[in-house]
Amino acid sequence: MAVKTAIKVTNVTHTVTANTGDLTILKDINIDIKEGESVAIVGASGSGKSTLLGLLAGLDINTSGEICLYEHAFSSLDEEQRALMRGQYVGFIFQSFHLLPSLQAIENVMLPAELKGDKNARKKAEILLEKVGLSHRLSHYPNQLSGGEQQRVAIARAFASSPKILFADEPTGNLDQGNGKIIIEQLFELNNSEGTTLVMVTHDNELARKCDRQLVMSAGQLMEKG
Amino acid sequence: MSLALRLLLKDIRSGDVLTLLIALIISVGTVTSIGLFIDRLQLSFEQQSANLLAADRVINSDDEIPKHWQIKASGLSLKHAERISFQTMLFAKERLQLSQLSAVTDSYPLKGAYLVDDTLFGEGKPLSQSPQKGQVWLSSRLANLLKVSIGDSVDVGEATLTVAKYLVRDPGSSSSAFTLSPRAVMNRSDLASTQVIIPGSRVRYAFLIAGDQNAIEDYEAWLLPQLNEGQRWRTPTQKGERIGDTIAKAESFLLLAGTLAVILSGIAMALASARFVKRHLMQVAVLKTLGATPKVLTKVFIIQFTMLFILGVAIGLAIGWGIQGVISSLLSGLMTTSLPEPSLSRLWLGIATGFISMIAFCLPLMQRLIKISPMTVLQPSLKIEQNTVMTYGIGFIGLFGLMSLYTKGVLLPSIMMLTILGIGVLVSLLGWLVFRLGRALTSGATSGWQIGFASLYRRLLPNLFQLLVFTLIIMLGLILLGVKSSLVADWQQQLPADAPNHYLFNVQATQIDDIDRATAQLEVPRSNWYPMVRGRVISANGLSIEMLYPEEKGEPELYSRELNLTWSDSLGKGSTLVSGDFPANGLSIEKRVAQEAALSLGDKLSLNIGGNIVSLPITSIRTVDWGSMQPNFYLILPKEVLQDYPANFVCSLFISDANAQPFYNAMSQFATVSIFNVGDLIKQIQSIIGQLSQAIQLVLLCILAAGALVLLASVRSTLEERLEEGALLRVLGAKKALVQQALFVEFGALGLFSGFFAAAGAEACLYGLQIFIFKSEAHWHPLLWSLGPLLGVCIISAVGLFASRMVVKVPPMHLLRDL
Repeated sequence: MAVKTAIKVTNVTHTVTANTGDLTILKDINIDIKEGESVAIVGASGSGKSTLLGLLAGLDINTSGEICLYEHAFSSLDEEQRALMRGQYVGFIFQSFHLLPSLQAIENVMLPAELKGDKNARKKAEILLEKVGLSHRLSHYPNQLSGGEQQRVAIARAFASSPKILFADEPTGNLDQGNGKIIIEQLFELNNSEGTTLVMVTHDNELARKCDRQLVMSAGQLMEKG
Repeated sequence: MSLALRLLLKDIRSGDVLTLLIALIISVGTVTSIGLFIDRLQLSFEQQSANLLAADRVINSDDEIPKHWQIKASGLSLKHAERISFQTMLFAKERLQLSQLSAVTDSYPLKGAYLVDDTLFGEGKPLSQSPQKGQVWLSSRLANLLKVSIGDSVDVGEATLTVAKYLVRDPGSSSSAFTLSPRAVMNRSDLASTQVIIPGSRVRYAFLIAGDQNAIEDYEAWLLPQLNEGQRWRTPTQKGERIGDTIAKAESFLLLAGTLAVILSGIAMALASARFVKRHLMQVAVLKTLGATPKVLTKVFIIQFTMLFILGVAIGLAIGWGIQGVISSLLSGLMTTSLPEPSLSRLWLGIATGFISMIAFCLPLMQRLIKISPMTVLQPSLKIEQNTVMTYGIGFIGLFGLMSLYTKGVLLPSIMMLTILGIGVLVSLLGWLVFRLGRALTSGATSGWQIGFASLYRRLLPNLFQLLVFTLIIMLGLILLGVKSSLVADWQQQLPADAPNHYLFNVQATQIDDIDRATAQLEVPRSNWYPMVRGRVISANGLSIEMLYPEEKGEPELYSRELNLTWSDSLGKGSTLVSGDFPANGLSIEKRVAQEAALSLGDKLSLNIGGNIVSLPITSIRTVDWGSMQPNFYLILPKEVLQDYPANFVCSLFISDANAQPFYNAMSQFATVSIFNVGDLIKQIQSIIGQLSQAIQLVLLCILAAGALVLLASVRSTLEERLEEGALLRVLGAKKALVQQALFVEFGALGLFSGFFAAAGAEACLYGLQIFIFKSEAHWHPLLWSLGPLLGVCIISAVGLFASRMVVKVPPMHLLRDL
């Protein structure tokens, strides 16, 4: 049986308006990412990695070209529909964790499922937090957790809505080596068990090597590595 | 729904929403408490004024009151009463005395109470009923002159009545206070048997009504078109009533105080909502990445703001109700009368404040939050789309709407908004210049001065905004302080404790020395003696006097009656020369009378004095303070013109309570001299003024307290950045003292400049208020210019340093992690 295409990027160019005039950040990008595949996007700071990640997740709209998630073209959707798409298909892990400071760990994990109207949100969140080894930290607030623990909560949150695609932006960027390793292990473990497609922006070569494919971003252009 | 509520509850716990909720509670609470308190005071003023009238409304008439007036009043369920006043001789044993007699119906007084006593010259106890049939109440002076006591008989015309009480005060006496004969009051049903009123008798009829406001308005609408020239409709606060002007000014003050409370609450809401947006931007962006659609977010915010509105308004109303209760009970010890209960219907003002505040300040921010791009999560440097002009525009319009609703007019809100706009421009321009200059003069980073000024310039926009907020809060306090001081000073000056309370009339020149001796023995302070000669103005510049009043508006003084003319070498207390020379060989005329007849210096008036025509030019125009209780005159003529006419003399005196009986005893030997006692009236006015002064001072305190709270909120709103900077400085090795000094310079400079700008704004605003609202003369307030900057530096540096004490107490590592 043929493997489905999770993300299809065709001739995408992205331009922003800066003080000095129009600035082209992404130039004619083309990628196909299959379902279940893990892809690392590497490259120097300012090369456009995060911008591409945002566009792939439908957080912004590209200037030209087409990005499709499971054959839904973002360009034909409005903000409301893009958000629904994200809720249905996408999970996120950020470099700065971005947990809601006023919510407990469990409540942060429940949030995506609750937004989808899932009645079993709490149960699911408890299971996920147990999987990342934080069953003893359910009712802690983010400022009561270490950086590594916060990112593990963020991983649990990312999987809470049972996403088909997981986007990760420098998931170990704010962590020490030890914590970084734990995070990577848990991330890949969950990714495998859930069968999720993983698209990750990283500076970490070791982490990149763990992925099925590596794409290198340089001056707004994307090339396959190796 | 549950998610929205849970997020709200969590946010309240974390303090972000709490600031907004507190701002809303302050807004609703302040406006409600002041609104309710003002309502109670207004009701109290109205009641007290009604007490002076003995009714809610009085119709004075030269003719008997038509029966159908009473029928109509009864039909509208209005209480009514009648008072018939006239001068007549009273006889007792061998003595007789001309007196001012009132015959009143059983229902009189409708408002207030008589003050009567069983002891001669007693202080009096209140009694809310009229004399019974067959009884008469005499003033102590009248009883003294007639040599009668309680239980004795007095003949009034053909009727014999029994003295039942000594009359101290007639509740409706203020309106007809200027009668010279001693007073007495009897029951209306005895009037016919006296047979003293015959066709041609000079009698004043008064018809009094009281009851529901709507019914009174209906009655007024029905009656006014029927009134003839000799009939007049009188209300408690009508212009010309002695107390009306004082109450009107106090009401304007309280209204101003309330308006300032509205502005303060607006500032509080604006600050809190700005903080709310700042703290929620990333949260909303994260929620968007997790799949929250704009529709879901809109729903979440609408539910949250609705809950906040309900919670804030409910707590605000409760606190507002409590605070006005506390203010009223604090005042109750100082007030002579208890305040009436506030009307629940005034609570809508608090609710409206909450609603408009939410719409004006929270809706635009909700829109901003919903529009935030989820990309912000990945690129925090992305600029937030915001339409500042629209956000502030909506806030400004909301504030103006609230104030207009509150004051039921646009004049006061316009003055306030123009001042705020002016201050906004002034603060932006001068603030920018000062911060820039401060930075240029203190370049480097080795001293607190340099770091402080560098911070001021680096965070230019937030600091300018904060400068504006500080300026506005201090300005509001200064405005209120300025107005309060002027008003209270005006009032105290108007009626000092030893203001004259008696007038002596009909004194012959030959009696003056004897009276002076008698009063000197009692050490009674007295004004100058003024001679009085009766005369009537007949023409001005050769034109008949009628021609000066073509529109026949009101009752022009010069035209409508014979005047008392006098001569004098000095202007006397309470009079000020406006133009011309005094004394001079011509006429001195009172300013308002001159304006009424469009007369100016040099115009020639002709007067008929004792059958002779005298023509004189106007050589001076003067203002007269009629509230000074000094004998005052519209026209003062040269002595040479008047001295050959028969004159009697007038003076005013202050008789203390202790001196009353000896004074009346001493004066009983001058039976032809008329004594007019205005002491009760003055006491009543002084008591009302005293209450008003206390009330506005308390309101001022409340507003200042609310202002201090908003100030604290404002300091808190930029605290994080300052703490972060202070922590960084400490990490880099700066000593605590240096960080403290830098913070002091920053807050001190903000305080100093905001105090200075506030003084300028307050002065400008006070000018507008004095001219347009209080209709008094504008004057300079030097105190504000020193008080503003001083308060600014002290309060803002103290609050700022206290709020930032963490930066020097907590290890910088902890601080940076917590931020």
